[in-house]
Amino acid sequence: MSDGDRIVIVGAGVAGLRAAERLRELGFDGEVVLIGDEARRPYHRPTVSKQLVQGIARPGDVTLQSYVDLDVHWRLGTRATHLDTAQRVVHLPGGEELWYDGLVVATGVVPRHLPGSPRHDPRVRVLRTVEDAAAVRRALATSSKPAVVIGGGLIGNEFAASMRQMGRDVTLVGHARAPLYRFGPRVAESVTDLHRSHRAALAMRTEVRHWITTKDTFGLHLTNNQLVVASCVVLAIGSVPAVDWLRGSGLTLDDGVLCEPTLFAVGADDVVVAGDVARWPNLRFDDVPRRVEHWLNAVESGRAAAENLLAGRAGARPFTPLPRAWSSLYEVRLQMAGLPALADDTVPLADGITGFVRAGELVGVCGWDRPRAMLRWTAELERRLPAPEHTGTSVPAAGVPLVPDTVPETVP
Amino acid sequence: MAGRMRMRAEGPRISVDNERCERFGLCEWEAPALFQLRRDGRLRYRRRAQPHEIEQAAAAARCCPMQAIALTGVTGR
Ligand SMILES: Cc1cc2nc3c(=O)[nH]c(=O)nc-3n(C[C@H](O)[C@H](O)[C@H](O)COP(=O)(O)OP(=O)(O)OC[C@H]3O[C@@H](n4cnc5c(N)ncnc54)[C@H](O)[C@@H]3O)c2cc1C
Ligand code: SF4
Repeated sequence: MSDGDRIVIVGAGVAGLRAAERLRELGFDGEVVLIGDEARRPYHRPTVSKQLVQGIARPGDVTLQSYVDLDVHWRLGTRATHLDTAQRVVHLPGGEELWYDGLVVATGVVPRHLPGSPRHDPRVRVLRTVEDAAAVRRALATSSKPAVVIGGGLIGNEFAASMRQMGRDVTLVGHARAPLYRFGPRVAESVTDLHRSHRAALAMRTEVRHWITTKDTFGLHLTNNQLVVASCVVLAIGSVPAVDWLRGSGLTLDDGVLCEPTLFAVGADDVVVAGDVARWPNLRFDDVPRRVEHWLNAVESGRAAAENLLAGRAGARPFTPLPRAWSSLYEVRLQMAGLPALADDTVPLADGITGFVRAGELVGVCGWDRPRAMLRWTAELERRLPAPEHTGTSVPAAGVPLVPDTVPETVP
Repeated sequence: MAGRMRMRAEGPRISVDNERCERFGLCEWEAPALFQLRRDGRLRYRRRAQPHEIEQAAAAARCCPMQAIALTGVTGR
């Protein structure tokens, strides 16, 4: 890329924002266009199932800050409809065509819908956006009946905890044997106990048999024969990459956009991919392309994608992060590092940390309210799984003038 | 190459919103010289970053799960 060029970023979430920020930090002087179909500036999406749905933060509180002069051309409330990589054009509604010299794809994922669920009923919702959180709050306000959430993953558990923190009854329905089971039996047991102590109901190893929707009753009949009446039902059963607009573009769309280790998209020139939608091989682990759906990965891949786009394919560096993620449930901090999903076994480590092991090698760690121990184990994991050596051109760091130092502060 | 992360004369200040911070310690991972999660669970941090620490301070702010870290005195806010 050179000055005078135009870089288009599709997807105004955190990955898109951090990519734009990095372009400017590195001194890119051309035009940056940020296209997002949500009508608002990028925000802190993890609050959707926590502070926003609880009503303890307002949408205006969760807008993301940036630390450089972004100088971007915002096209919010605008959905990219098609990509033509041969012509280097992004198609927008109304027949508009936007040319680019470089493109960042950062469209994230969309929540999965449950087949058979009454998807047009306003009491059946998903949780991805600020508007979703508001819609759930409206549904909750119309009835004092319990809330129901289907799905025992992070968002399902966070939502259940949020409901109890608001004093609402809630039932979590999941087909696994315990909530958060993929983080190992230790975490699953702890989260089960935690929900019990907060009187959140768990209906595990079960599914919806059918939906009961009459004018005054709304609920679920579960395969364990339980009948649950609900004010609203949140579907938290995973998500699918937002790649509809990329069909026919020549990119490989098989569970996200297939990328090289550098986040350059396979099958096109000058296209990089970042965030939840990118499927790339993290050479720190192996050469299998995978997606990572966590906030910090979106931050770091957004920055790496921008660096590589500016460096060009020849000078690009593989993106080899040590993935880290967090969640909070009630007052408990849950943290992960590495790729627990790769493990074939779990082992209890020191300090209450769960280790995830693949073929005898530690590939991930998970901590239940142990932030200090997590810092130590994350460092240990980084030591055991070093990023592979790369000999290429490196990105210059931004130089900054001198500032004085002052006394330390403490947050009690 | 200077980039655009220029400071005002008084330099960037770091502040952590006490109400928001949940002591995850991810800031310490990004900028151990600026943030430390102490043994008693409290977070200790330095109010001013040194010039070579500004990148790290910004990384900590971007990564904070509670978006509790504010940097002021950095242009472009
Ligand atoms: C409820 C919830 C809670 C979460 N909690 C946590 C947590 O506690 N910890 C954690 O680590 N992670 C959490 N995550 C995951 C984290 O939020 C995501 O990993 C992160 O937001 C991914 O960023 P992204 O920029 O890739 O995608 P997104 O944030 O989804 O941004 C993509 C943007 O692109 C837009 N878009 C899509 N298609 C188009 C198109 N064709 N044209 C224009 N724009 C388009 C979308 O509308 C969206 O605004 C949570 C996610 C959710 C939904
Ligand atoms: S990362 Fe944020 S929430 Fe965590 S300890 Fe640091 S300031 Fe507090």
